[in-house]
Amino acid sequence: MDALIYTIMSGAERGLRAQQVHANNLANLETGGFRADLELATSQAVPGYGYDTRHMSQLSANAMSGREGAVRETGNDLDVAIDGNGMLAVQWQDGEAYTRAGHLVVDADGTLTVNGRAVMGDGGPISLPAYTRVSIAQDGTISVQQPGQLELQEVDRLKLVRADAPNLTKNEAGLTVARDGNTLAADDTVTVRAGYLEGSNVSAVEEMVATMSLNRDFEIQMRLYKSADSMADAGNRLIRE
Amino acid sequence: MNPALWISKTGVQAQDAKLQAIANNLANVNTVGFKRDRVVFEDMFYQVEKQPGAQQDDATTSPTGVQLGNGTRLVGTQKIFTTGSLQTTGQSMDVAIVGNGFLQVQLANGDAAYTRAGQLQVNQDGRLVTAQGQPLVPEITVPATATALTIAENGMVSATVAGATQPTELGQLTLVNFINPAGLLALGDNLYQETTASGAPTEGNPGEDGLGKLKQGALEGSNVQVVEEMVDMIAAQRTYEMNTKVLSAADNMMQYLAQAVR
Repeated sequence: MDALIYTIMSGAERGLRAQQVHANNLANLETGGFRADLELATSQAVPGYGYDTRHMSQLSANAMSGREGAVRETGNDLDVAIDGNGMLAVQWQDGEAYTRAGHLVVDADGTLTVNGRAVMGDGGPISLPAYTRVSIAQDGTISVQQPGQLELQEVDRLKLVRADAPNLTKNEAGLTVARDGNTLAADDTVTVRAGYLEGSNVSAVEEMVATMSLNRDFEIQMRLYKSADSMADAGNRLIRE
Repeated sequence: MNPALWISKTGVQAQDAKLQAIANNLANVNTVGFKRDRVVFEDMFYQVEKQPGAQQDDATTSPTGVQLGNGTRLVGTQKIFTTGSLQTTGQSMDVAIVGNGFLQVQLANGDAAYTRAGQLQVNQDGRLVTAQGQPLVPEITVPATATALTIAENGMVSATVAGATQPTELGQLTLVNFINPAGLLALGDNLYQETTASGAPTEGNPGEDGLGKLKQGALEGSNVQVVEEMVDMIAAQRTYEMNTKVLSAADNMMQYLAQAVR
């Protein structure tokens, strides 16, 4: 049988899987600090004599968009939106990973967490004493007013890092890590805004258009399936008659 | 089946949950002492199908990999403890907590619960109770002959009893606070209960140790912002719609496939 059908198969397969990436982006349209996954099709030449015109399509999807999401005011002292391409460091297994989700929560022990993961400070996870008021400065310094005291006292500072999107990838938990696997160093120039939260950076329009176009693309692949089938059928008939 | 179907399902489900929270917030826009819920989402785990840098052959490594996400997940709802707007009611039995803290009440089963709704009343035994009838802790009894009840900023409750010229001190109201109020369990009836996430309550007199002061003749309204909820609702509705569009696109693809092989 003609190898055309296998080429079509690679295109259809890519369509199905690319749809998965866009479905995931759209599902996370309302996830705070989410970074859209990018999907890219590359062509791969089929090795061997006589296959010069055969190129299989291959999906690569491990890059993410570096665009900033929309920031909105929440008025919550423990919500932080990070400016530019900065990120918060959180504890992940033995090391750390990064996130832009900024809805910080204090747990029962006073540990500052985001989605249940401890937020890293200057020297490990940040732990807050009992407080009546908390404030997070632009440089990430956390100050609290302890019961019975009048002044705010500095406790720790959020570990803020900066890296460009091409050097980053996501790990299996959806947290951002450096592509080379190294720990990123704290960057003093990253600023945060307390009382604001960043939404997801997914562009609904782009994702919808991509979904529609993949849908039609897949339909075309299916037409080609039919042509490949009828071509083979015609060949078979030739022998029969 | 096409995994995009399941991924879109998580998106639709998440928006469903969000809409439920928004509906509840909006329904409680006039509930005294209500604190709004915020729904928090997280992206689900990723399938790493091919690691970037995997060996292609002896000399080359793959420059990119394939990581496919699995949708979104509801991490939890978070009570937002910002202060609601204060309404002056002029009623002597209304108290608002200006600042942090909760009033303590005793449930029918003897457990302690906490509230910020200060519409106090007197029950048939003369005890101070909440609007739902749960007695306040510490126990304060108002004599039947009392006139002019005053609740001071520091929680001291006093009343002038008929025949006396000086007010009598009836008892001291205390407040409690938690290290993580967002971790409290909302019981409904404006009540919260302690959990391991909230930490243990610390008790004190109003106005001391970072606790708020009591204001007689005022009530703390709900902290729901109607405009914000409306905007959230529109966003949730549209996100829902877009996720169902992906659902139907994924369905279409499967249909084309089924037709092609027929």
